[in-house]
Amino acid sequence: MTDSSSIRQAADRIIKAYQTSTPDAPVREFIDDGDIDGAYAVQEHVTDWRLDEGARLVGRKIGLTSVVVQKQLGVDQPDYGMLFDDMAIPDGEEIPTSRVMQPRVEAEVAYVMEKDLKFDRPTNTEVISAIAYAVPAIEVVGSRVSNWDITILDTVADNASSGLFVLGNDKVKVDGFDGRMCGMVVENRGDPVSVGAGAACLGHPINAVRWLAEVMAQRGRPLSAGDIVMSGALGPMVPVTAGEVYEARISGLGSVRAVFGA
Amino acid sequence: MSVDIFDLAQIVDDAAHTATAIAQLSEKNEMTLEEAYQVQASSIDRRLSRGEKRVGMKMGFTSRAKMVQMGVDDMIWGRLTDGMLVEDGGTISMAKYVHPRVEPEVAFLLNAPLSGPVTPMQAMAAVEAMAPALEIIDSRYEAFKFNLYDVVADNASSSGFVIGPWCPPDMDLDNLGVVMECNGRPVQIGSTAAILGHPGRSLAAASRMAAEYGETLEAGWVVMAGGVTEATPLAAGISVRNTVEGLGSVGFHVEA
Repeated sequence: MTDSSSIRQAADRIIKAYQTSTPDAPVREFIDDGDIDGAYAVQEHVTDWRLDEGARLVGRKIGLTSVVVQKQLGVDQPDYGMLFDDMAIPDGEEIPTSRVMQPRVEAEVAYVMEKDLKFDRPTNTEVISAIAYAVPAIEVVGSRVSNWDITILDTVADNASSGLFVLGNDKVKVDGFDGRMCGMVVENRGDPVSVGAGAACLGHPINAVRWLAEVMAQRGRPLSAGDIVMSGALGPMVPVTAGEVYEARISGLGSVRAVFGA
Repeated sequence: MSVDIFDLAQIVDDAAHTATAIAQLSEKNEMTLEEAYQVQASSIDRRLSRGEKRVGMKMGFTSRAKMVQMGVDDMIWGRLTDGMLVEDGGTISMAKYVHPRVEPEVAFLLNAPLSGPVTPMQAMAAVEAMAPALEIIDSRYEAFKFNLYDVVADNASSSGFVIGPWCPPDMDLDNLGVVMECNGRPVQIGSTAAILGHPGRSLAAASRMAAEYGETLEAGWVVMAGGVTEATPLAAGISVRNTVEGLGSVGFHVEA
């Protein structure tokens, strides 16, 4: 088990990267091999710092929901990070590209919770009943680790490499689109730069939300009414070029745009 | 030095017919793109002379990523015969292929001829129906290695196609989810958007490109619009299924 001073050091390195807007070396050197709980303890430290600074927790993101990406990182489960109020960008509003270090975009389904989910082991049906609606979403991921040189420990410690998120404004009921089969495309200048479908996210995005609900209940930050859940990418990440616009369309859900300034 | 079209056609046709891998034609023959398509046409003539019937056309390299990967700036196409048709739910034998792979696609059925440059809208107006489909590609070249001229001469690697239920062409095709499974597990996931942003653009390109070689897409023909994802290698014992959002699914089995 990673000792608390090492966890503190790892958290300090990430916090400094945020404060200076400069990515730094990986933090895995501070965390014992394979100690994912230790990595989450680092994340928790950084979360406490964000909350102390006045940020408001508005939801969670789920990462590593693709089997391919899990294999790349040598893990067999997703991971999660915190969404804060200052990470939310309105559809189409210009994003200063410098706001996220080493930004990439990915398209996903975002769910908004209608009810709290406090069961230790919620079922998929309980999860579905607890969701108010879905919207199309773009996550702008980023890394406080230089050159995205990350292992599972680095990304978990670094809030699951989250950056910003853009939600569409038109809500759709959970049964208003085909969660498994919905097509997804991210377009840039008319070219499809990332494609996928709902099944890419753990077979169905609801499966990812159920996993999150269980883990959050166990870790004492259960999903609550009003929480936004970014359920996980439906296709490959796309590196961001300053000045470009990325539009995500999800079949049955609509579209949403991430617009990057110079 | 000019190439002997008929000789090369016989080499690729024999390779396909006997499921035997061959060296790349380009190793010893410098072909132009036009000559490569002539080799393809001539090799298909050999199939027709054995009693097969021409039933359509397939498109290849229908994503910009694939074109960049191959270092080309246009798609390629190949000819489909009834001898390549595999029944939906049918079984293929590995013995009849060199190193087959499968990719998920969508297919169009035409109810009017298409000839020369047309807009995607004009092309879609000639569509009677569309279907989820699978293409079995099987380059006859050793190790699946080829350049642009090799692959065109080898009928764009086409060797089999499977068509699912025909559906009326009344839904928007630009972003339908595609999930291809092997033995029930997803192996390729994508969207029809991967085909040039809309499969109708591939159909329009088919009309334009066929006309460059004097061909018309005939009413009743099938046009395979191009791969949605990468191809997956086949092996005996695999059962393949492709499901396209709103269109249903199509599948086949593989035996030794």
